[in-house]
Amino acid sequence: MNRSGIGESLYKLATKQKAFIAILVMMGGMLFSGTNFYTVYNLLDMLNSTSILLILSFGVTLTIVSGGCDLSIGGILVVSGITAIKLLDFMPIWLAILCAVLFGAVVGFINGFLVVKQKTEPFIITLGMGLLLTGIAQQLTDAHPIPAKNPDFMMIGNGDIFGVPNLVLIMLVCFGISFWLMRYTQFGRNLYAIGGDYDVARYSGIDVIRTKWIGFVISGAAAGLAGVLLSSKLNTGSSVYGELTALVVNCGVVVGGTSFAGGIGGIPQSALGLLVFGMLDNVMNMLNISSYYQVMLKGTVIVGIIWLDCFANKRRREFV
Amino acid sequence: MHRESVSINAVISVVRDYLVLVMIAALVAITAVIEPKFMSGANLVNIMRQFGPLIMVSLGMTFVIIGGFIDLSVAGTINLVAVVTISLIQPLGQVPALLIGLTIGAVCGGLNSALILSSGALTQAEALFITFGMSTVYSAIALLYSGGSTMHFWDISASKSVFEAIGGGNVGFLSVSFVIFLVCLALLWVFQTKTSEGRAICLTGGNKTAARLAGVQVSRAIVVIYMICGLMAGVGAIVLFSRITTAAPVIGAGYETNAILSVVVGGTTLKGGKGSVLRTVMGVLLVILMSNCLDLLGVSSYLQYAVKGAILVFAIWLDNRKQA
Repeated sequence: MNRSGIGESLYKLATKQKAFIAILVMMGGMLFSGTNFYTVYNLLDMLNSTSILLILSFGVTLTIVSGGCDLSIGGILVVSGITAIKLLDFMPIWLAILCAVLFGAVVGFINGFLVVKQKTEPFIITLGMGLLLTGIAQQLTDAHPIPAKNPDFMMIGNGDIFGVPNLVLIMLVCFGISFWLMRYTQFGRNLYAIGGDYDVARYSGIDVIRTKWIGFVISGAAAGLAGVLLSSKLNTGSSVYGELTALVVNCGVVVGGTSFAGGIGGIPQSALGLLVFGMLDNVMNMLNISSYYQVMLKGTVIVGIIWLDCFANKRRREFV
Repeated sequence: MHRESVSINAVISVVRDYLVLVMIAALVAITAVIEPKFMSGANLVNIMRQFGPLIMVSLGMTFVIIGGFIDLSVAGTINLVAVVTISLIQPLGQVPALLIGLTIGAVCGGLNSALILSSGALTQAEALFITFGMSTVYSAIALLYSGGSTMHFWDISASKSVFEAIGGGNVGFLSVSFVIFLVCLALLWVFQTKTSEGRAICLTGGNKTAARLAGVQVSRAIVVIYMICGLMAGVGAIVLFSRITTAAPVIGAGYETNAILSVVVGGTTLKGGKGSVLRTVMGVLLVILMSNCLDLLGVSSYLQYAVKGAILVFAIWLDNRKQA
């Protein structure tokens, strides 16, 4: 009765851990490319430039696991970055950062109200919210990048401790917190239960509305933090990083194995998924691929991965 | 007492149903009072000209949303159709270029539906991500094809009278693009209300399983809605670059969100199964009038972007309240 032959287990591996396979393929390919890919400097640089996306993805994972999604993070990212830089002029750094993160949490709260309390479709309402915030960001900056004047602020995103960039350290702290939250707390388990089956979770006595709502607030706050770090890294606030970031991060989370169907996945999987995109960028730059082909390759990867996710969902529907 | 409350409810439901019309009327009234230039002939002609590309794209998008899906790839389709069509005027002549452009639009739509059908995607969210990815791919192809450069009418020595007519010609007192819009509207309205395929699309959007069990060919309906959407995006692209006489590979940016905004504001529900192309016309009218009013009132284009986002969120929220 052992039906799990090699083909079956390969299929399982390909659908469950496609991110891991993609990373292995890229690393294997780079062995023969004769570039400087395998240097500590390059690998750390890759991790450094991916860490902002990773921080975004940890928040988004909470919303996707509970059966929603958050496309407003692109808007929050740019507005909170600009807010932090504007506030630096008349308050200490820590207060400006706190205000920017708080702003993200407030937007997350509004998203949560609309999605959880009013039961609107999460992806379209957060897309609209992202549009709104991008407009606000352009109004705030007059569509020009604005420079930050405080050198201490710049050091947050560009400094390092014993050779390890600050951004990577902050990302690891966020990873630890969100992993603990999802894995070892009642809140995290409730999120999985809600994503698995909303009604069953409700009848089991879980406060579904509050739990899911908090997920959206955390996602907003994470996006606020990522916005501060991005503007600190670039030392400017700009309104041009909006929409693509949101969709890439949401796709990256799905790449890792967190499905839009809800209830499965986790923080380490999301980290793997986003690393695929970070490594893809790095590899394409190493191989000197023209930027137009890079856009095309990225689009193809997104379509292919979402296609696989839909296909796996369909199989699950048919076999259950 | 009882009868009174019933009639109040009836009034409320009518206002809710035609909220867009009420909003258009209020907007026109307020702007006409504040800024008398609004009612001038030049401005009305200006509004008529703006009707062009957005309405075409929105009409196509209406079918996708009625069918219970969504299409973010129209921006990429517009980019691709615009750069390919304008580059083919010189070697092939204008009519073949026009036909090839429209075919590319329909093929892009067909490709989207093929991906959605083969993956078995059922929900709007899945369709949204697939079509977004395809939008990136189409835009990248447009960039590669054109080498990233903008193409101009004045570089073309061959005859381009058809495109010049679409861009700036008049039939009587109507602009040519407005006549194209009327023809498309009539065709699509007849298709939606008088043919069995139109009803099949509505049923598919209402409930896919029930539609399939009732003998509706759901797969065919999905292919049809995406091909209509791609084709109308192609028409929109041609109207757009004819009017501005240049085609850049980023020409279509923002059209997908504006089209969804217009459809939803018009009252076609995102849940699928209900809606009409006539409602979309009202939605587009509101969006265009709003931009025009905000322009006249001197609101910056960046803030207008934010206002549009706010209206989109509000309209979706209202749509959801209506369903509940």
